[in-house]
Amino acid sequence: MTSIASSQQPSLPSPSEWEKKVDDIRPSKSDMNTLVMNYLIIGGYPSAAAKFAQEANIHPQLNLEAIHKRNRICTSIHEGDIQSAIEMINDFQPELLQTHRRLHFALLRLQLIELIRASMEANGDIQPALTFAEKQLAPRAPEYPEFLRDLERTMALLCFPPDQLSPPLAKLMDPDMRKEVAAQVNEAILSHQSVLPEAKLRSLVRLRAWVEAKAAKSESERLRSIPHLDLGLVPSKAENGSSVI
Amino acid sequence: MMTSNITDSSIMATYNPAVSSGTSTLLPRAQGSTWASIVSGQPSRPRIASTGLRGQRNGSSANLSDLGSQSGRFHNPALSNALNTLSKISQLPTSVPSYLEDSLYSERLLAARCPSANSASLLSRNPSMTSLALVAQARGGGLKLDIKDTSLLQEDDLPTPLPTRWNENDKSGGIDISQDGLDVRFLGPNKVTEYDSAAVRADHHMPRSCGVYYYEVTIINKSREGLIGIGFCAGDVLLNRLPGWEPYSWGYHGDDGKIFCCTGVGKPYGPQFDTKDIIGCGINFRTNTAFFTCNGRNLGDAFRDIPMEKKLYAAVGMKKPGEHIRVNFGQERFCFDIDGYVKDERLRAYSEIESMPVDDLCPPLEEAALMQSLVASYLQHDGFVETAKAFAQDLQAEQSALNSGRGGPTNPVELMEDQDAQRRQTIRTAILNGDIDNALELTQTHYPQVLLRNEQINFRLRCRKFIEMMRQSAELMNGSRKKAPPAPGSGSKNKGRTFETYAEDEDVDMDEDDGETRSDCDMENGVDNYNNRTAADPLSQSDMLAKLLEYGQQMQRDFKDKPELQDEMEEVFSLWAYPDPMVSPVAHLLSIDGRAPVAEALNSAILVSLGKSSRAPLERLVQQTTVLLRELGEEGGSAAFINLHNWINSVEYLPAS
Repeated sequence: MTSIASSQQPSLPSPSEWEKKVDDIRPSKSDMNTLVMNYLIIGGYPSAAAKFAQEANIHPQLNLEAIHKRNRICTSIHEGDIQSAIEMINDFQPELLQTHRRLHFALLRLQLIELIRASMEANGDIQPALTFAEKQLAPRAPEYPEFLRDLERTMALLCFPPDQLSPPLAKLMDPDMRKEVAAQVNEAILSHQSVLPEAKLRSLVRLRAWVEAKAAKSESERLRSIPHLDLGLVPSKAENGSSVI
Repeated sequence: MMTSNITDSSIMATYNPAVSSGTSTLLPRAQGSTWASIVSGQPSRPRIASTGLRGQRNGSSANLSDLGSQSGRFHNPALSNALNTLSKISQLPTSVPSYLEDSLYSERLLAARCPSANSASLLSRNPSMTSLALVAQARGGGLKLDIKDTSLLQEDDLPTPLPTRWNENDKSGGIDISQDGLDVRFLGPNKVTEYDSAAVRADHHMPRSCGVYYYEVTIINKSREGLIGIGFCAGDVLLNRLPGWEPYSWGYHGDDGKIFCCTGVGKPYGPQFDTKDIIGCGINFRTNTAFFTCNGRNLGDAFRDIPMEKKLYAAVGMKKPGEHIRVNFGQERFCFDIDGYVKDERLRAYSEIESMPVDDLCPPLEEAALMQSLVASYLQHDGFVETAKAFAQDLQAEQSALNSGRGGPTNPVELMEDQDAQRRQTIRTAILNGDIDNALELTQTHYPQVLLRNEQINFRLRCRKFIEMMRQSAELMNGSRKKAPPAPGSGSKNKGRTFETYAEDEDVDMDEDDGETRSDCDMENGVDNYNNRTAADPLSQSDMLAKLLEYGQQMQRDFKDKPELQDEMEEVFSLWAYPDPMVSPVAHLLSIDGRAPVAEALNSAILVSLGKSSRAPLERLVQQTTVLLRELGEEGGSAAFINLHNWINSVEYLPAS
């Protein structure tokens, strides 16, 4: 009654009719708040999560202390204090790094990078970095083929002055490296707590991209006629961007 | 009386054909109250039944027989239109087979059945209140289905009913269908020619929005040859041949185990049928393929490239006397694990979605930045001022921690001191605390146009204030008894406070807490809100009731020229009817859950008056995704397997990685 009949209609909905269809949907506020709360929890934003529970008058089943711990671990990694982060992880979830060998290696390698960074700033005493690599990383290198490769690449940092690094090496020194490892740790801790390690918002954003791509590739003329639907985020992006990032 | 009884029962049968099949029986009571709400929700109707229907609505005893006689007597076109729509709704299944639970089809079914879940009516504006609406329905409290909803439910928007039985009017001669419409027997003459067979189609076609449609047939008895064909065909295919032998017809035949795709020449496929065999037939609208099962075993793809331009009906055909089958359209457990089959389809879609890049969605934002912007703009847009600040601070802390490696200067995050956002949040908080007067006053001061231009919102605020007064009065009357409404009130509030003890780096907003306490627990202060008296001036029960009466009468005067608001107003005023409204059938009206939707509506109206979009980008994202999912799902693609609401609320929607 619906699909076939409508796809045979000669006239396709105009862009404004599509906009109206979108406007007519009334998303559930509680769904929206669930999405945001979930994002704040998974992302590890404890103070925002607490405020949101208050302001949105929702009462999530959440262990705020666990979020705080997770947040402190990630913050330590962001700050480059990997030693503390590893200690906190071992304190919080003792078996986590035992079972996540790759994650443990990633943390240790990041610690090595931070030692190298410190040596660059401290006028070239590379001894602490060398000792650390020899004692902590080298014994683990045989576990997986990529460990050795990663270790070698990291050690190459010592051979170049910091301002003459090739792009792949410069990437190691970038703060994004810390962010990446912190995100991995965050996910591992969440999985370990039997929490979905990924924010629902992330899935939703991908779902949104997916449905658009599907419609564009559809055999149905009606679906292909759907215009690009704007989020309304870009015009306000400048102000949001400056305040958010 | 006699006549009316006869009419009644025949109308029952007409409007509720599912009753006899026994598969999807409607609860007459629920339907009755829904119907009564339609009637009473029509502003333009002649007030035909101001005593009859209205009385029944409140008593929730209106049923189809009443409607039947009403509509028969009054020939009101609006009424019969609504009746038509309703009879179509009543054909829809009350439940779907388990494999369809997450499908677009069942989502649309729910929307058609419970329009109040998405409607704009007073009680159900809060989308989180689906359960409340259901409670209202269960209590017979008048599930809202006002004229707006009815007009939304155009015929095209209604999902098609699922097949429930073989169609008595769509069969060839020589076939007998049992009373319940599920058994088919071949009675025809012994000497049929080579091509003479008899087939029958199901009563409804298989909707593409199901994603996958599946049914099973039990061979109860077969002739020596076992000439039984199971499959599907278009609605205009001749029924004097077995499924598969005609254009637009596909079938699996029991005499030789061959499959036939629109031709008389078959291909070897599966086993021959035996008595007691259960043969299943499934169509996958994503791949446009069909498969058959035998006693729970999938026999593999039978047909590919099934054309999508025609509606397809489940069909069986037979050729020899004594042949007898029985169909399972989902009213019983299936032999084959179709739930698992559909789950695999769903997981397939999920993993496709998981690997979807989002870079093109809102360039130049990449995924993490996009999510941050969506959340930040939502918090700001919807007036969660404190959260927005805390979020910005969290992000800043993260950024400065990251920058410590660079040694560069950290850019301080500029906090948005948006005066309007602050005001909107204050107004929201007032409403959430039940202090409607304060909200009205603040709105009047800062956004005087909003209440003038949005009568509906003004009305809802006034209704809410009446409800709050009623709450106060009821609590006063109950004396020491703790507040009763079924709301996540005090208990969860305490949980909220526990947060704060952990959150060392934030200042606890004592004012807001006080507000909660005052309106929820402290009677005298609460009364103070409404009467501008001092807290030391207690109000007696009779004073309170007098105030209530006065306020109610004022509301009636103010809105008496608005017929479209009368029903909602009466609903609210029905609280009067009970000595203790807290335990009345309309107690749900008193729930503090009703505050949030009023706050949202006012917030949106203020935003619109400020020339801003009434929707945050995150909300747009959800809206767009919903529309696109529906459109895609109608075509029967992978999107039909995804239910956005379940997706958001589910805890196990991801493939185990």
